[in-house]
Amino acid sequence: MNRVFWVVFGKEIFGFLRSAGLVAVVLYAFTADIYIAGKGIQIKPRNVKIGYVDDTGGGISRKILSHLHRPEFLKPRRFNSQKALSRAIFNKEILVGILFDQDFEKDFRQGRKAQLNLLLDATAASQSFTTLGYLQNIVMDFSKPNFPVVIKSHKLFNQNADNHTFMALTEMLSVTTLLIVILTAVVFVREKEEGTWDIMLLMPVDPKLIILAKSLSQVMIVMAGVILALGFVIFGAFNTPMNGSFWAFILLTFFYSFSSAGIGLFVAAVSKSTMQVAQLSIIIMMPLIFLSGAWTPIYAMHPILQFLSLFSPLRYYIEGSESIFFRGTAFVDLLPYFGGVLVLGVLLYWYGFRKIGKLF
Amino acid sequence: MNLSVVKAYMLKEFTELLRTKMIIMVYLLPSMILLLFGYGIRMEVTHARTLVIDNDQSHFSRMLTAKFEHSKYFDTTVTQMSEAEALHRIKQAKTDIIVIIPASFEKRLLHGQKSEIGVFVDGAFPNRGMTMENYVQGVVLNAAQSVAGSLGSHGGLISINSRNLFNQAMRDENAIVPGLIGLVLLVAPAILSALMIVKEKERGTIFNFYASPLSRSEFLAAKLIPAFLLHSLNIFILFLWATEVFDVPFRGSFSLYWFAAEIYILISLSIGMLISVITSRQIVAVVLTIIITIIPGFLYSGILMPISSMAGGSYIEAHLFPVMYFNHIVYDCFLAGKGLASAKTAEYLGILILYAVILLLLGTALLKKELK
Repeated sequence: MNRVFWVVFGKEIFGFLRSAGLVAVVLYAFTADIYIAGKGIQIKPRNVKIGYVDDTGGGISRKILSHLHRPEFLKPRRFNSQKALSRAIFNKEILVGILFDQDFEKDFRQGRKAQLNLLLDATAASQSFTTLGYLQNIVMDFSKPNFPVVIKSHKLFNQNADNHTFMALTEMLSVTTLLIVILTAVVFVREKEEGTWDIMLLMPVDPKLIILAKSLSQVMIVMAGVILALGFVIFGAFNTPMNGSFWAFILLTFFYSFSSAGIGLFVAAVSKSTMQVAQLSIIIMMPLIFLSGAWTPIYAMHPILQFLSLFSPLRYYIEGSESIFFRGTAFVDLLPYFGGVLVLGVLLYWYGFRKIGKLF
Repeated sequence: MNLSVVKAYMLKEFTELLRTKMIIMVYLLPSMILLLFGYGIRMEVTHARTLVIDNDQSHFSRMLTAKFEHSKYFDTTVTQMSEAEALHRIKQAKTDIIVIIPASFEKRLLHGQKSEIGVFVDGAFPNRGMTMENYVQGVVLNAAQSVAGSLGSHGGLISINSRNLFNQAMRDENAIVPGLIGLVLLVAPAILSALMIVKEKERGTIFNFYASPLSRSEFLAAKLIPAFLLHSLNIFILFLWATEVFDVPFRGSFSLYWFAAEIYILISLSIGMLISVITSRQIVAVVLTIIITIIPGFLYSGILMPISSMAGGSYIEAHLFPVMYFNHIVYDCFLAGKGLASAKTAEYLGILILYAVILLLLGTALLKKELK
């Protein structure tokens, strides 16, 4: 009994290793791809291009502009008229335009309310808004009302708002999901396509055992990939801090891979060819990945989507992983995530056993 | 070009797309992505779960909490919880922001002494963390200004009057949905065409082509034209979703949008075709296509960050992928409406055309019409 299990397991591992293209793609996905995603994006404003039109003598305006410096802002560029400035914004050469009009300095000196006009490129909302926040702070320092309040602000878990580690981690979780679902589904569907699956089921071996062995082989392939990604990219290239327990993460990944293999099993059960697997898994996976809370927290979504996300194992996995990596949550508080992943996994396998594990 | 043979081949492809129900994918996938993401992705932070720990219970502290309570950005709860307990709630991901108002806050203020407001923000989501931090600062500064007014302070006040170009109301939909069109039209056609040739390789039917008098470019034309025509309809469908469902304004010229989108579909189909030419198994083709289209499509779309503030390697990479050029044109068509009058738009359109030509030539060159 046990021997059958390991023979099926070994067969699938060898099958995977023989296809050089597949091995290369999996390796690429778990290393270079995660690296690119982590390296590429920085949401904190950086190199923001500022343009200004200065119709004042240049006392206060100079002082304000001198606060805008690297690395957040490039040196502000001067334009001669508002028209030239707006043209530059329309061409996306400038992100934020500042207009100091003639009355600005006069009003300020005479203690009246001085108005500073800003033009923001709203298609780059997060950068423009953060720049606005910066400017508000600078301006606040100037007008200094008699109000001695200091805001002592801490961003917990990630004080520098470092996006690289976050993006890399999110990407790794998405890649894990993508590969485990497609690989598992294809392992079953290929046998269906070639007609060997019926023969498997006819053998005097419990079909559940075969299904488990086949899924486990793919889970192990993905686990190996995760460990590579952790070693080389997450810890190696990005120095991601690990505030929680490493083993809790590995355990969670293992359970999660198994229950996502369940999704693959489901896809395989309802489709007949690799082509259909590709379609179905993309249609199932895109919402799964992007609505899992990786890009927008669940509670900020539309209520219907919030409800649907309860059925996504990725939701529990992502929240759990973020808690382990960044928040350093204690094991007891992680139990809901383990629970969610396990319950969904059991349900998917139950369906898979019934649908694909029987001849009739 | 032997037109009748190409026509027969195209007919076969059409029938196959219909029979394998691939046609569902052609129309379901783009609309689904657009709708789900359009509703699902929110860059703006609203309803951040905020705990205000008011240790002062004075007039000023209540004024400050009221500012939080009346803002749509915060879902505020005022408690007397201990600091440690509140931090534990952040660890459980049940709270996003903690604001701690110290005891004797009012007294110190009236005496002109320095007092500190403690703010803790969950930074596990870096960009949300930053946004929330800015909002909190904004609220406190706002409260400070009104208090300063009532205390009768002097000196000039500078107020900032900002105009948001292209998107006055700062609607998330306007900022995201046009960018999503660029993502969708990159991913969906590529997946379709990635499977077209490799499928024949895996099944062995590619030998029909090897043995037939069809030339390589005719074969590619026969493969790509059906997919191209089917996906062209998506340009209009996506446009309708964007303008009718998400109410994104359309200020530019429709024919520019249409033309650019057709070129872009051609590029995306060619990317899929290149993958199809170099791989030998369907599974590899699918995974490879997803990985090389979705991630750059999302990263370099301009949804998450403007290309101009990328640095070094990613700035160059962004310029290598077509999505950046197309999205510039799409955003221009939807929000700015300058059209070809802007030199940059015209230049980017030229780059897209060049891109399409290069990819098609490359595909023809790499396709083999013989046994290895």
